[in-house]
Amino acid sequence: MIKKKHGGYPFWLSIPAIAVYSVFVIIPIVMSLVLAFTDWNVNRWTSPSFAGLTSFIEILKDPVFMKSLFNNFLYAIATTVLKVVFGLALALALVKPFKGNTIFRTIFYLPCVLSMTVIGVLFTAILAKNGLLNNLLEMLHLTSFQREWLGQYGTAMTWIILIESWMWAGFNMFVFISGLQAIPRDYYEAASTEGASRIKQFTSITLPLIMPAITVNVTLNVAGGMKVFDIIYVLTNGGPGTDTQVLSTYGFKAFSLGYLGESSAASIILTILVIIVSFALNGFFRKREVEL
Amino acid sequence: MKKKNNVLKMILLILITCIYLIPIVMMVLGSLKPKEEAIRFDLSLPSVIEWSNYTYVLEKGHVLTGYFNSFIMTAAATVLVLLFGALAGIYVGRSRGRVSTAIYNYFILGLTVSFQIATTFALLKFLNLYGSRVGVVLIYAAIQLPFTVMTFSSFIKGVPREIDEAAMIDGCGPLRLIFLIIMPIMKPIMITNLIVTAIQTWNNFMIPLFYLDSSEKWTIPLMVYNFFGQYSRNWNYVFAMLVITILPVIILYLCLQKYIVEGMTSGAVKG
Repeated sequence: MIKKKHGGYPFWLSIPAIAVYSVFVIIPIVMSLVLAFTDWNVNRWTSPSFAGLTSFIEILKDPVFMKSLFNNFLYAIATTVLKVVFGLALALALVKPFKGNTIFRTIFYLPCVLSMTVIGVLFTAILAKNGLLNNLLEMLHLTSFQREWLGQYGTAMTWIILIESWMWAGFNMFVFISGLQAIPRDYYEAASTEGASRIKQFTSITLPLIMPAITVNVTLNVAGGMKVFDIIYVLTNGGPGTDTQVLSTYGFKAFSLGYLGESSAASIILTILVIIVSFALNGFFRKREVEL
Repeated sequence: MKKKNNVLKMILLILITCIYLIPIVMMVLGSLKPKEEAIRFDLSLPSVIEWSNYTYVLEKGHVLTGYFNSFIMTAAATVLVLLFGALAGIYVGRSRGRVSTAIYNYFILGLTVSFQIATTFALLKFLNLYGSRVGVVLIYAAIQLPFTVMTFSSFIKGVPREIDEAAMIDGCGPLRLIFLIIMPIMKPIMITNLIVTAIQTWNNFMIPLFYLDSSEKWTIPLMVYNFFGQYSRNWNYVFAMLVITILPVIILYLCLQKYIVEGMTSGAVKG
């Protein structure tokens, strides 16, 4: 009887995975949850004592933290919108087979397999003061548009968002292509014989039926965007000043300076935000999905 | 009308392609230029081809050390993730009851949590694993396991139970059943997880940055970042370094792109 319930597989099969995952993912979170409420720092490395909400109050009073929080949301929302819109546009353009179709798909997906460090260094060369972008603007006699792109908050943040979206639009595209391919052709045929316009077909057939793909993309993009670290660290290192800091880089900076309790508090806040946002988004979009 | 639309679409697609290719063209051209030309950051052809940029980088950039470290750490993490993830995924996917549901949810939680820099550091210090490749590999494996367990368990739900039952009636134990019968059936999801884990681990920048202090153990992304910091005035070398680091990845991508694209997207959709 017991055998049947467990499908014949013993529990111990899952022990190695549970052990590695518990030690290196769960325990650090539990430790953060505890240590964030202490005065833990490099000088009190082994003897932290309870300090209540001090770390949280400390970072919430820090204007750099509030700015990081703002940047985090701005980044997550803006990159999600751009990736979904461009991903869907590319998918619609490339879903039907034509000559050269696979070449385009291959190129648009390429950045997804490259490391963020490489992309970051490459874009430093494009956005530098004497970089490729300013050179191209000079060639086009648009010198008034030349900027030190990573030297000001507005343009630096804009470029960080654009580069991230450039990188992952191809991934969104493929998720949308597999969603679009699942829609039966006769839906569109029926709609056109009834005289529905292309736009009408898109809003009443395509959009509702690719809702599951939108759910996947939005959830992944937002969760990924909230956890952003690499691109900021490589491109601006949070600069100019502390203008482009996000929560992960803030946590890392606190960690490097030895403020371990503050770093843990920042990590815990980020974790809780990601969990809330992911679940809320998933629930929101799942309700809007229709069965085929 | 339709024809005109298609032409317009092609022009747009080609323009977008340029946006994707220009950075790469600039990098390849720059890697072959003398120093003064490379720093001009344009798309002109090099006046003389400087292969010496590459030999210099190969000598000074610790590229081979980086590749060696990236390779062994990626391989070790991938093997751990596939083996442990498959075993746990099979158990969770096949068993009914509160225990397996609880384990499943326990792993799903890991998909949303973010990385805890400070406490993971303390943990590694405590386990005497700070600065070691083993510590980094175990963290790589741990962050990838939730995804693997989830995909394996959802895959095995689609494999008929009769296969297990027939083998068990013939007296086959769980381990023989898994390795001789179930694993071969799970090949597609194995390939998906292999690709996802290998790419994510290979490109990971944070974990080695935080927890590997000696440059002898650095992986390729760290080597590139450090080289860029050191040679930021010699863009000819930086470009050559970038080409050397991404060339193997691009070649692998072009050869295996069908599997890579399917692997990475199907993984996402099933999640």
